This record gives sequence, C-alpha cells and structure tokens, in this order.
Amino acid sequence: MKARERMPEASFNREYSQTVGEITSPNSRIVCRNVNVYYGDKHAIQDVSLDIGRNEVIALIGPSGCGKSTFIRCLNRMNDTIPGCRVTGKILLDGQDIYDGSLDVVPLRAQVGMVFQKPNPFPKSIFENVAYGPRIHGLVSSKAELEEVVETSLRRAGLWDEIKDYLHQPGTSLSGGQQQRLCIARAIAVNPEVILMDEPCSALDPIATAKIEQLIDELRSHYTIAIVTHSMQQAARVSQRTAYFHLGRLIEVGETAQIFTNPRHQLTEDYITGRFG
Amino acid sequence: MNEICEVSGQSSGRTIDVVHASLIRRRRAEKRFRLYGLVSIVLGLCFVAILFASIIARGYTAFQQTSIGLDVYFDPELIDPEGRRDPVTLMEGDYDRLLKNTLSSMFPDVKARQEKGALYRLLSSAASYDLRDQVLANPELIGKIVRVWVPADDDIDMFVKGQLPRTGAEGERRIKDLQVAWIDKLEAEGRIEKSFNTAFFTSGDSREPELAGIWGAVMGSLFTLLVTLSLSLPIGMAAAIYLEEFAPRNRWTDFIEVNINNLAAVPSIVFGLLGLAVFINFFGLPRSSPLVGGLVLSLMTLPVIIIAGRSALKAVPPSVREAALGVGASSMQTVFHHVLPLAVPGMMTGAIIGMARALGESAPLLMIGMVAFIVDIPRGVLEPATVLPVQIYLWADSPERAFVERTSAAIIVLLVFLIFMNGLAVYIRKRFERRW
Repeated sequence: MKARERMPEASFNREYSQTVGEITSPNSRIVCRNVNVYYGDKHAIQDVSLDIGRNEVIALIGPSGCGKSTFIRCLNRMNDTIPGCRVTGKILLDGQDIYDGSLDVVPLRAQVGMVFQKPNPFPKSIFENVAYGPRIHGLVSSKAELEEVVETSLRRAGLWDEIKDYLHQPGTSLSGGQQQRLCIARAIAVNPEVILMDEPCSALDPIATAKIEQLIDELRSHYTIAIVTHSMQQAARVSQRTAYFHLGRLIEVGETAQIFTNPRHQLTEDYITGRFG
Repeated sequence: MNEICEVSGQSSGRTIDVVHASLIRRRRAEKRFRLYGLVSIVLGLCFVAILFASIIARGYTAFQQTSIGLDVYFDPELIDPEGRRDPVTLMEGDYDRLLKNTLSSMFPDVKARQEKGALYRLLSSAASYDLRDQVLANPELIGKIVRVWVPADDDIDMFVKGQLPRTGAEGERRIKDLQVAWIDKLEAEGRIEKSFNTAFFTSGDSREPELAGIWGAVMGSLFTLLVTLSLSLPIGMAAAIYLEEFAPRNRWTDFIEVNINNLAAVPSIVFGLLGLAVFINFFGLPRSSPLVGGLVLSLMTLPVIIIAGRSALKAVPPSVREAALGVGASSMQTVFHHVLPLAVPGMMTGAIIGMARALGESAPLLMIGMVAFIVDIPRGVLEPATVLPVQIYLWADSPERAFVERTSAAIIVLLVFLIFMNGLAVYIRKRFERRW
C-alpha cells in the first residue's frame, strides 16, 4: 500500500503489470509463459512468465497469499486435485507442454518431485516410505536393487546414518526435521529431474533447517530445484535466482545477490527491507 | 500522567472485583451443568439396568427345562410285534401307549377318563418322539425296563419353576389339585428334575412352548445377514470410495449425496414394502426367504455404510493423498495403497453398526412374509425362515404362559449377539486405529 502511495500512478501501473528483470534462463528446463490460475472466481496468479534453469535453485519469495505455492504446484499439476482450480497459459518442461490434454500426470510427477510444507511421511515404515515410489514406477527389478535405491536416497538426504538401524520403524516416529528429510529422500528415490519444495523448513528448528539447506545445496548438482520460502535469509543462502511475487503477479526476478542488494522494483525493496509482508 | 496511572490502577482493581463477583455465579452455573449431566447419565444407566434386570429375571428360567423320570417298560408288543428290529416298524410303534401304560402303573388309583387325561397331560406331547428316537438309536432297550427322562408339559414346567400358583380357587388355576398331588409324589420320589434346556438352542419354532427353540431363527438371521453383508459391504464401500475420491463435485453428485442422506432416514417398513413390490412381486423371488430379507436389509444398510465410509475417507488427512500423488502414484494407487488402509477401520465400524441394526430389524421383514410360523430349520437362503426379532415378536404374541420366559430368553440371545457385534466394532476401532 505504501508503494502505491509513493509511486506516480502511471509508472506504478506499467511496472506492476510487467515483471522486472530477466525472466529467461540461459539453460532453461522449465518455461512458463502467461500462466494464469483461477480458484473458482478468484484470479490467484496473473500472467506469470518465468524460466527455471538446469542445476539451478530458484527461490520464490513474497508475502502470504501472493501465489508462490500456487505457482509451483502448477509445475507438477498438483493443482489438478483442487476442485474449481483452472490453469491457463503455457508451461513447458523440456519443450513438452505439461498442460497438454494428452499428457499423463503420473510420469510428469515422477519427473517433477515435490516436498511439502508440512512433513507428510506415509504412516508406514521408513523403508516403505522411500521404497514406495521406485516400486510403483517399476524402477527396480529386485529386492537387493530396491534396498540399494533406498540406501542411496537416504544417504543423499543425509538421513542414513541416523536411521539405518531403524529402517522398519514407522516414518511418523521420527522428529520433524528427520521426517522432512525422509520426505526429500522419498522424492529423490524416484530420480526426478526437478524438485519443488513448498516451504520445506517452515515447521523446523534452525538446526534441522541448516541440514536441509545444506542438502539443497548438494542436490543442486543433480536436480533443478524451485523452493518457496518465507525466510529471506534462506532464499539468500540457498538460491542462485530469486523471484518476488506480489498479489498473484511476478514482480521481479533476477540473480539472488542482485535482488537482495539492489532490487529494482519498489515493491521488492519494500518487502526485503521489511516494510511489509 | 499521574492521573492516567491512577485511573488504570483503579479500573484494574475494579475489574478484579467484578471478576470475583461474577466468578461465584459462573461456578454455580458450572456446578449446575455438571449436575444435569450426572443426573442424565445416572438416569440412563438406571433405565438400562431396569431393562436388563427385567429381561434377565423373566428370561433366565427358560434356560432350564423340567423333565420327568419314568421307568418305562419298552413293551415289544407295542413297538416291535414281529421282533425283527426293523427301523420302519420301530418308527411306527405306539410309544404314546408305552408312556400312558407307565403312568397308569405308577398311579393305579386313577381310573376316571377325565382324570386319566389330566395325568397324561403331565408329559409333553413330544415325549413319545423322544422315546422313539431313543429306541431307534438303541434297539437293545426293547423288552427292558429303563428309567428315561422325558420333558414335562409347559404348564407343569411353569408350575415346577414356581410361576403358576399352587393355592387359590381351583377353577382359576391351570394346575388342578389332583395334578399338584401327582407332582408332589413324583418330586418326593426324585422323578422331577430341572436340567439345561438344550432344545431351546437346537430346535426350531413350535406351538408347544417346551419344544420351541430359537435355532431356526438364529439360522434365519445368519443367512439374512450373510446376504446383507455380501451385498451391502462391497457396494457400500465402492460407492463411498467413488463418491469421496473419484467423483467430480457437481450438481449430480450433490443430488446423489442428498438422496443417500435421505435414504438413511427412511422408515424401515418402507423398505419392506419396496422389497415386497420389487423382489417378490416383480422378480418373483420366494417369499419368507432370507434372500429377500437380506436384499431388503441391504437397501436399508447401504446408506449407513456409505455415509460411514465417506466420513472415514474424509477423516484421512489430505497430506497423505498429496504425498502419494507427489511421488507419482495414480489416483487409484493413492486410494488403495494409502487412503483406504487408513480408512478401513472406520468403514468397518460403520459396516458392523449397520449390520447390528439390520440384525435387530423386524418391521421390513414382516412385509415380506418372514413372520410366518416356520418349524423347520432353514438350510439355505431360499428356504422359508424367520429371524430373531420376528421370532421374539411371534412369541410375545402367544398366549401360553411359558412363552413369556421364552420371549425374554430370545431377547437375551439377541442382545448377546448385538453386544458382541458392537464390541467387535469398538475393538476394531481401537486395534486398527492409526495415528498420523
């Protein structure tokens, strides 16, 4: 609101309706053009165009209700499960339109994994949690191979040493941070190409958060990662690019360092300096 | 500044006084409310206790049956004149005469025709069949004198159990003075015994209370419930899963949901009329059969199972679905691998409660003819049968004094079944309930 007061009406409208910064990426894997999302009558995301590059961590920041989560949920079509949700525009993954009517969401979701805000392990054993994905997709042909996949995934998620003796304990018996890393292990067990993280650390203490951030940094070499976060420090620590959303629009996108040190849009500056949000 | 402090200090002091003053009122309201609750619980428990006490007090005697010990001479003249021990001949022997001869020899003073009739009526009309069965099982008995125990007539049974008066105007009593004297004599000789009433649990219905049993009704209930369960459980669960997990939310599904909720509230007798019109008159299925009864009760139970199933599915947190969809499970895998295992205990509880309701239902079954007097024990779903609650209704309608205790005893059996089923539902809920 303050931004609106301070800026001349004309320039505000122009800048507000157009994203500031470079939306394309030299090595782009996901290409979004003019994405609009409606929940019934509510226009939740308006004309968002953004590319996400290979082996890049992009952080999506913005005040609550600005559409960050809605946007990443478009990338693996999780919004399909919400009644009354409609998506228009183009989202291409490796050149393939994921909203094409003939596209099957099952392989898409195997390709684009997701970690949710609240740790949500299945109420099954730790082993079963990680083994479930590879098993349903038929990625393994033998029990030994499955065990190997489970071990590698848990190792990559930095959880193996802590729980290797309790593989058959229920996943829900772990602590919050361990549960979230278990969910990350579950997501990477199906060997996705993109991982979407929707505020993965919002329910965790700083130590567990640090572990997950370190993990994200390590995962970057293999995966493309989009992370929604409310913590600007976290965005600054883990991401290479940052996108700022405001009221359903993508306001500014750019190199993380540039966004945090030298934001070009007034709204971005207000947000990162803590004037609102 | 000073003034403000004073005002705030004053007002805070006053606030606490007001709070204290209101506290007494609030505490009193709280106490009163607790008392209401306690009184309701105690009243409820009292009614349950009265119900159980009266039923058990009236019914427990039915689990015993009086029998009379007689030294019967198995006269070959009467039952096997040719001495060939041929089962066909043995079947047709005059066992009635055997018993009459025995009684006459025990009470030689009884000469008048009417008195003899009263003497013979000490025994159940089924006593001669008992003798026949014993002879058929063991032909060695023929020609010997053996003490056999035969069931007493229902009035004698009631008298021995102390439920018919001994004194008072003779004309108003069912047991006359003469019979009282005979019974006293038999008792003195140790020929009257009360034993466990196995017939009550093993035989079908009868016009004679001492022969009437609930096994026919139990089997009828079992077959009916089997049909109900095998139809309503799969259909109900599938409907619940489809409506909750797969169906699009639109005007049609809303319409279906409203209708299912309405069906759950339809009086059960309406389902009976529907069953009569559709299953018996249109499809021509045999009337009085557990098949039709089961179909009608399925219609009645389906909405209950669907509603319980849907709420069990709704109770599964959406995060579990998101987790499964997020790793790329198809909708069906999500439902069957993750959602259903968590919902099954709730669905089962609903199904068992629905079944218990079906077991206790009588009104719709009256409409389709399961109220008939059926002696034979049903052996399949197409044979005429009756069910426990209808049997209770039939017995409650019978004039004989001995049916009063049998009615209560049948109610006890029905209650045991219902308590068992509800206990099972509670057990399943406690045992398989999973927390997440």
